[in-house]
Amino acid sequence: MSKKKDISFETKIERLDIIVQTLDEGNVPLDTMLELYEEGMNLAQQCREYLEKAEQKIEIIEKKSN
Amino acid sequence: MKQNKPIAIGVLTREISRLLEEGIGYVQVIGEISNYKHHSSGHRYFSLKDDNAQISGVMWKTRALSFVPRDGMKVIAGGVITIYPPQGKYQLDCTFMQPMGLGDLYMAFEEMKQRLEKEGLFDPIHKKKLLAIPTRVGIITSATGAALQDMLSTMKRRNPMCEVCVRPTLVQGDGAIEDIVNAITMLDSENLDCIIVGRGGGSIEDLWAFNTESVARSIFMARTPVISAVGHETDFTIADFVADMRAATPTAAAELVTPITLQQLMDYVITLQNRLPELAFTAINEQRRTIEQLLLRSGFRRVNEQLKVMEQSLDSHEIRMSLAIKRSIAAMKMSIDSKGNHCKSLYPLSPLKKGFALLEKGTKTLTAEDELSIGEELTLIRQHTKHTILIQSQ
Repeated sequence: MSKKKDISFETKIERLDIIVQTLDEGNVPLDTMLELYEEGMNLAQQCREYLEKAEQKIEIIEKKSN
Repeated sequence: MKQNKPIAIGVLTREISRLLEEGIGYVQVIGEISNYKHHSSGHRYFSLKDDNAQISGVMWKTRALSFVPRDGMKVIAGGVITIYPPQGKYQLDCTFMQPMGLGDLYMAFEEMKQRLEKEGLFDPIHKKKLLAIPTRVGIITSATGAALQDMLSTMKRRNPMCEVCVRPTLVQGDGAIEDIVNAITMLDSENLDCIIVGRGGGSIEDLWAFNTESVARSIFMARTPVISAVGHETDFTIADFVADMRAATPTAAAELVTPITLQQLMDYVITLQNRLPELAFTAINEQRRTIEQLLLRSGFRRVNEQLKVMEQSLDSHEIRMSLAIKRSIAAMKMSIDSKGNHCKSLYPLSPLKKGFALLEKGTKTLTAEDELSIGEELTLIRQHTKHTILIQSQ
């Protein structure tokens, strides 16, 4: 029933958080850093778009007689 | 007061009030308190009931009470019957109230509560954590109550990206308990992030379904975190104790389930996004500084110095080399000169300069060994002149 998106919004936010922390701590090779930077920017953009499009979906679940 | 003319309701009500007050006077009753409300005005409103009947009660804030009344308490209360004209309702205006021990209903409730507590149903160890950013939340409540609308509007305002699955149920009366239990079981299989079970405030009787063992057990069994949102602040139900989290009102439950609002999320994402370039620049600058510092390290400096030394030695070699070459060229020149002079000195005609002469016979130059006879003609060669000569004597 629940169609899980390949990567949930929460996972994306967590990943973005980790990327920023990693960059914050430094100690990353420059190549890795640039990759992380790009990934982070992408994630942030996706998250923003997701939030901007957010609207309440309501599903009424009917009673089943058992 | 028999009259055939219509009279004002107020007049009639006043008459009823007078009859009740005078006809009954001060009276004491024994009953169980329910629906107790200590209003912010200080007045207390409640119902008193026994097995067969129920009466509304009021106790003004000016009347002293030696205890805190609670729903379910059995009390003895005394006062007079008055009318509340706007609702045409009669009530016991209490001047006195004392506890009579716990009511039967309440005792049964307490017994069950203690049993469940002993069993560990209320143990914090079983409380599941709620997600900070739920994506799908279930709601079990009456389809018609204000509670549902309160919850939906609160969630929409705070976090509209959260999907809501509503399973309407009866919340009181016949069949409510079974309906709630079924609803919890059903939504638990929906893979939701959280389930809110609740209803708006009501009397202890109205909330009774949430005080039953079967509802408590179904909440306990659910794998999904459950928030109970039953009634108002003062009403604690068994459901509240078993649930992973308790909200005082349905609106409060909707707030609990959306601890982070959409706006906060957006702000957070933007903060993270803004930090990225800054961090990248910092990191790049750091690497640059590292390189600069490495260049300043003695190792690199030594290489430079070594280069300079080598250069210098190269220079000195060059100088020495060119000096050496110059010297040997000069030496060679000198030896060539001396050899030239020597050669010059050996030139056969050079004695002619000093006045010596050469003798030729025909084309042959004569040496000291050649013999000459008288009458022979010879050529005498001097430096500048040639002469023919004749040998006259031996």
